[in-house]
Amino acid sequence: MPPVQDILVLFQTAPALDTQVVAWARYEASKGARIQDLVEEEDPPYNTAIEAMRDGWQVIQMSELKHRVPEDGYELGPLPYQTVLARYNVLEEEE
Amino acid sequence: MTEHLLNSKQMAQFVASGYLKFEDMIPKDLCEACREEMPNFGGYMAVGTPFEETWPKNTPLGDAFRLPQVQGLIHSLIGPDPLYDHHAAHLVKANQMRGPDAHQDSVIDFRENYFDIQLSFFPVDTTDEMGGTFLIPGTQYRNVRTGEIGLYQHMRGKIWATCPAGTMYVWNTRVWHGSRSNHTDQDRYMFKLRLNPTRPQIRTFDTSDLDDPAIPGILNTNHGWEGNEHRYELMHRMKLWRYLSGQPDYDIGERFLRRIEYNPGRVAVA
Repeated sequence: MPPVQDILVLFQTAPALDTQVVAWARYEASKGARIQDLVEEEDPPYNTAIEAMRDGWQVIQMSELKHRVPEDGYELGPLPYQTVLARYNVLEEEE
Repeated sequence: MTEHLLNSKQMAQFVASGYLKFEDMIPKDLCEACREEMPNFGGYMAVGTPFEETWPKNTPLGDAFRLPQVQGLIHSLIGPDPLYDHHAAHLVKANQMRGPDAHQDSVIDFRENYFDIQLSFFPVDTTDEMGGTFLIPGTQYRNVRTGEIGLYQHMRGKIWATCPAGTMYVWNTRVWHGSRSNHTDQDRYMFKLRLNPTRPQIRTFDTSDLDDPAIPGILNTNHGWEGNEHRYELMHRMKLWRYLSGQPDYDIGERFLRRIEYNPGRVAVA
């Protein structure tokens, strides 16, 4: 069985890869098609994206800076920046 | 009523974090009666009608939300004569699992100087394993479209309800939140009631401590996820606090609002 892609998304409030991670999500295809039971995690798996890179994760997307205009320069919405990382793992049997 | 109003420090906490928690809000015997009533309480009533006319009387849940301490809480946040919006007996059955569920209720809402409240009542002791509702404190100023934030599986600062029977959380309906897995053999209920104000939400609370020196620090709370966005969060909190407290020039610390308002070149146009 060939390895499949696992995705780790790290959300930040600035785009640099050494910015503190404030939210995170895992899409681990090797472990199953969906998360059945979300287990709470108080801290992220890595404090920064670059820590994840040093653990073998490959960056496949990083964020660009946003251009700000008066109309929405102070508006708040989703967290502004994210880094998407990938790593290949062997497919596990689904429970 | 007056003795049950929130004070200014509690209101500042609500402005900063978007929620407050009160244990022992509902007496234990009434909790048991409410728990028995919940499964058959019925669905939505007439949305946007006076709460006092619409909400059932002389039933356990009818009585619970009319207790003086609950009425004082409601009055503090949305003033007198609120409107009924909707209610629901949220159930996570025994051993029912939940995946990512973060969402913002209803539809995206840009109203300024306004918020609805949601009262979340836990009628039985709710342990961590029972999967009490989670909240991301401070997210009420971040407008998103309902369930798209399911992407945020985990977030710094997340809290969840673990509480004794009779606890009530009150929260700004725009706080990001969701349900959690129930790892016990006991069904888990959370009864929620959403209410709207009918008049401007200005000085509806006990303002006798409005000048308390603790208030700036409360408004400046960092929940762990704000990072580089903290001062932008603070500007939104200041706008709401100015409105609720009737202090149109209020600001704290570096006074970020002043930094975008001060402009001697601005000339009034008749």
